[in-house]
Amino acid sequence: MARQRGREARQRGRPPGASGVRTETRTGASADDASRSRDDPPAIAVEGLTKTFGSGADAVTAVDEVSFTVDRGSVVGLLGPNGAGKTTIIKSVLGLVLPDAGTVRIDGLDVHEHPRATYRHVDAMLEGARNDYWRLTVRENLRYFATISGVDPDSVADRHERLLEQLDLSAAADTPVRDLSRGMKQKASLASVLATDSDVVFLDEPTLGLDVESSLTLRRELRRIVADRGLTVVLSSHDMDVIEDVCDRVVIVSDGRVIADDSVASLLRGFETQGYRVASRDLDDEVLAAVRERFDAVEVDYLDGQARIEVATDSDGFYDLAALLRAHDVTLDAVDTVAPDLETAFLEMTGGAGR
Amino acid sequence: MSSIDAVDDGDPRPATHLDLARAVLYREYLLFVRYPANAVGGIVVSLFFFGLLFYGGRMIAGRALTDSIEGIVVGYFLWTLSVGAYSSISNDIGSEVQWGTLERHFTTPFGFAPVALAKGLAKVVRTFLVSTVILAAMLLMTGTNLRLPVLTVVVVAGLAITSVLGLGFAAGGLSVLYKRIGTWLNFLQFGFVLLVSAPAFDLGWTRFLPLAQGSALLQRAMLDGTPLWQFSPVDLTILAGVAVTYLGLGYVVFHYATRRARRLGVLGDY
Repeated sequence: MARQRGREARQRGRPPGASGVRTETRTGASADDASRSRDDPPAIAVEGLTKTFGSGADAVTAVDEVSFTVDRGSVVGLLGPNGAGKTTIIKSVLGLVLPDAGTVRIDGLDVHEHPRATYRHVDAMLEGARNDYWRLTVRENLRYFATISGVDPDSVADRHERLLEQLDLSAAADTPVRDLSRGMKQKASLASVLATDSDVVFLDEPTLGLDVESSLTLRRELRRIVADRGLTVVLSSHDMDVIEDVCDRVVIVSDGRVIADDSVASLLRGFETQGYRVASRDLDDEVLAAVRERFDAVEVDYLDGQARIEVATDSDGFYDLAALLRAHDVTLDAVDTVAPDLETAFLEMTGGAGR
Repeated sequence: MSSIDAVDDGDPRPATHLDLARAVLYREYLLFVRYPANAVGGIVVSLFFFGLLFYGGRMIAGRALTDSIEGIVVGYFLWTLSVGAYSSISNDIGSEVQWGTLERHFTTPFGFAPVALAKGLAKVVRTFLVSTVILAAMLLMTGTNLRLPVLTVVVVAGLAITSVLGLGFAAGGLSVLYKRIGTWLNFLQFGFVLLVSAPAFDLGWTRFLPLAQGSALLQRAMLDGTPLWQFSPVDLTILAGVAVTYLGLGYVVFHYATRRARRLGVLGDY
């Protein structure tokens, strides 16, 4: 039944608007949410997840009352600096780490009470590339892990071929994984996860250690496969570009706590200290002083004798800036808009811990 | 045959427990034929030590050793079986931790126990193949003739090393929890010499230790030609009971060790 709902969700495609966008539910779900939950539970519902390692003075709370939900067919990024608790959250959700408190439901099933039933829906790529057998070929891995996940590999052989094509692994399908490059190994690992019939997939740092080109390729292919199959994905990364590129929504974690949970677009809007960068050889001290007097956030740097100022302001402020510069007979050499990115938002929220 | 009712749209089909066993056995087969150096290395080392035992012992003990060589060959055969089963399952668990694949065997709808049992079965089959080659080489080396009632040998030796498989699971579980003790646990295999030799001490209680009862029955089967059905029901019951008990105990230790590892968050750590 739950799987049927998953299939229906796939047919419907992603939820409208910013797919998967849900406000954080740390303080509990609304009545509307509760009603919806009874009818159509979210793919993943995490409530009050807490995990402390060690005891006494040495105790470290790796996960601190984390709550979030993930709608079907959405791709949610778990973003945080190294050591923020991302992997522990994923492993706790999967039951590979036993939490001290909290509940995890996947497709409405409690993971810790009904692990076997839950695992019909779930697979995970943990630890980057090392979660398949390097001595087996790519195709053998796909067949083996499909079986382990409860699917007769013969019945998904065609799907495996498509998957190998999508990930550009067809030529390497019969090559032992150990003989592949790092990027190809990562793809093989991802393929072995997607070879199952799981509709909820966790990917822990899937692009870790990849060069830029391999990372971009993997992201592009991941986006396409996720869209094709309507998968629900939770992807952890400390790489903002990966999250921004692949995810509909981001849950930012710092020191084991959820500090933000919103769509990537909304999160960036919230940090809309949009700015403008103006370069000119006429930006002398008098002009700079006037700009600083009018605007709060001004950064100045010099390049080849040319001053460049970056002013955080909105459109109205930009008109004021232009008028001020005109009044001082400043000839503009270049004007650029400065768009906020996720990294800015992330660093702002984590107090720079992500650097 | 039970199955996992994983899908309801007719395609893909759910895998059965038979599919699971086949997949695990096939993986073992692939590793065996693709990387024969491991198996060949084990055979060479086993035969080297047997050569030392046989030729060295003949120089020292002379005819006394030659007279009892059949018993030594049978005992050594069982010992290689035991070491193979024990080390393969315990080392395999450690390797799976390093490879990051152990956790994927936990998140299976089959549950970990059937997967672990399938793995154990695969290890036993592989060990039998390797030890059979060692046995043949020992018979050629010593010029000894033994009776080989295949069914009896397979059943008795199989049940005997099933108890050792339980010890392997326990050792594997402990090494998941305490990463560095794996090497020390490998020393346990030398204790198998005592267990294989236990019938010689004629102590009744030793029959309830792993291997001991199997060793006694295997000697009777291979030296005297006693077929399976001529063993007393009590002997067979003890053999089967010891196998099931130690396998069960070993799995319980593994279960609790991995549960504690999950609580400590070290299941997949290496």
